Amino acid sequence: MQNETTKIAILVAISTLVFLLVPMFLILYIRSYNRHKKNHVLEKQNMQQKFESEMLQTRVEVQDQTMQSIATELHDNVGQLLSLTTLTLNSVNLNDGEKARKKIDNSLALVNKSIKELRELAKLLHGEQLVENGIGHAIDQEINWLNKAGAYELKIDNRLTDLQITSPNKDLILLRLLQEIINNIIKHAQATCIQIDSHLTNNILHLRVAENGIGFNPEEIKSKKSGMGLNSIYKRIEMINGKLILNSTPGEGTSISIEVPYP
Amino acid sequence: MRYLSPIFIAEVICLIAAITIIWKDKYAFGKVITCYLTIALVTEEAAAYLAIRGIHNLWLFNIFIFFEIGAILYGLYHCLKEYINPKPIFIIGAGIVYPIYFSFFINHPFADLNTITITVMSVVFTLYCLYYYYLLLKDENFIEIKTHPQFWWVTGVLFYYFGSTMSNIFDGLFTVKIIGHVTLRYCIYIVLNLILYSFWLYSFICRMKQQKLQS
Repeated sequence: MQNETTKIAILVAISTLVFLLVPMFLILYIRSYNRHKKNHVLEKQNMQQKFESEMLQTRVEVQDQTMQSIATELHDNVGQLLSLTTLTLNSVNLNDGEKARKKIDNSLALVNKSIKELRELAKLLHGEQLVENGIGHAIDQEINWLNKAGAYELKIDNRLTDLQITSPNKDLILLRLLQEIINNIIKHAQATCIQIDSHLTNNILHLRVAENGIGFNPEEIKSKKSGMGLNSIYKRIEMINGKLILNSTPGEGTSISIEVPYP
Repeated sequence: MRYLSPIFIAEVICLIAAITIIWKDKYAFGKVITCYLTIALVTEEAAAYLAIRGIHNLWLFNIFIFFEIGAILYGLYHCLKEYINPKPIFIIGAGIVYPIYFSFFINHPFADLNTITITVMSVVFTLYCLYYYYLLLKDENFIEIKTHPQFWWVTGVLFYYFGSTMSNIFDGLFTVKIIGHVTLRYCIYIVLNLILYSFWLYSFICRMKQQKLQS
């Protein structure tokens, strides 16, 4: 009997030890899991910070682009019109009534044209807010601006103007990408015709910009450091889980297709 | 000398820490646990006094179990409410343990130790502790385990009640004496109490650090 009791006692002692070891391993597991969770949360925070910083950068770039357009417009257009008005008014001879009236009428027309141009500029100044009205309107605004230059034959199919859904962050990035692509075309492509298509199908936003310029070898540009603009475009597309397909052949123009999950 | 058992010393240290750290806490948890520790200390000493005088003392532990169920359930409720609304599961828990506690005395005299309740409440508390860990792991946010008072409080409870499972099941079947009159069962309970009060003490220290950071 005493032997049996001793056996039970040993069994209880060993079992208790095991029962104490189980929570210990459980705590070690929780500790390790929690550490992984901590790293994951920190990584997520880091990514969020990067995203926010990239958004800020994009916003600044959009503003810069707007300011640049305004400066160019003020200098090349409104400035010229007002200078011409000043010249016309300076040359008014009050003794010659008929000629004076003609010149004043001309000046009035020039001032009216300046006012019209300034109104257009004011619209552009609100370009950033335009994104709030939807990506379709923002694309329209960019196209209008490009159209004003009159240097390109434009083929436009923008089906995003009636879009009921918005995604402010994605809209801003898409607008900036479009600006960057158009800038690249103006600076390097030597194109005469630009085609812009945009539409939303199955929650995927499609934006395609094609031109008939000199084209380039994408692999060559990628390997060179000069392809920083292109790298930035790829980075931003990745940030909004999008896809970019670039097709370009020297002498045959370039087409860029962007597909972004939307909203 | 029997008054100054290791359990008594651990309880005194823990009670002093509880009074100085968590008694003035904004949560009722602090007051409940301090009161529980006081009751545990008084019970321990009263039981020792009765034992020295050769008077039966198990009825005293039966009274203590009643408070123990309430205090530990409330403590676990306080920890779990950080993640969910635990009222329903605690009503079920209390609804299981208390009726067992009272029904035991229908067939047994009050002088018999309520072992069935001790076993059932150990299982219930263990389940709540494991549920707490599950919620902690499932939660999207991470906690600094090293300095999280609730985590260490629950861990103390888990070690004590899970560790005492075998002793509860085989209670009365083994009376092996190790040194003099000290039984193996008593030794196991000393170890479990030391673990419990160490974790609780550490939990109170963590709470003190939290209070300092918040002030």
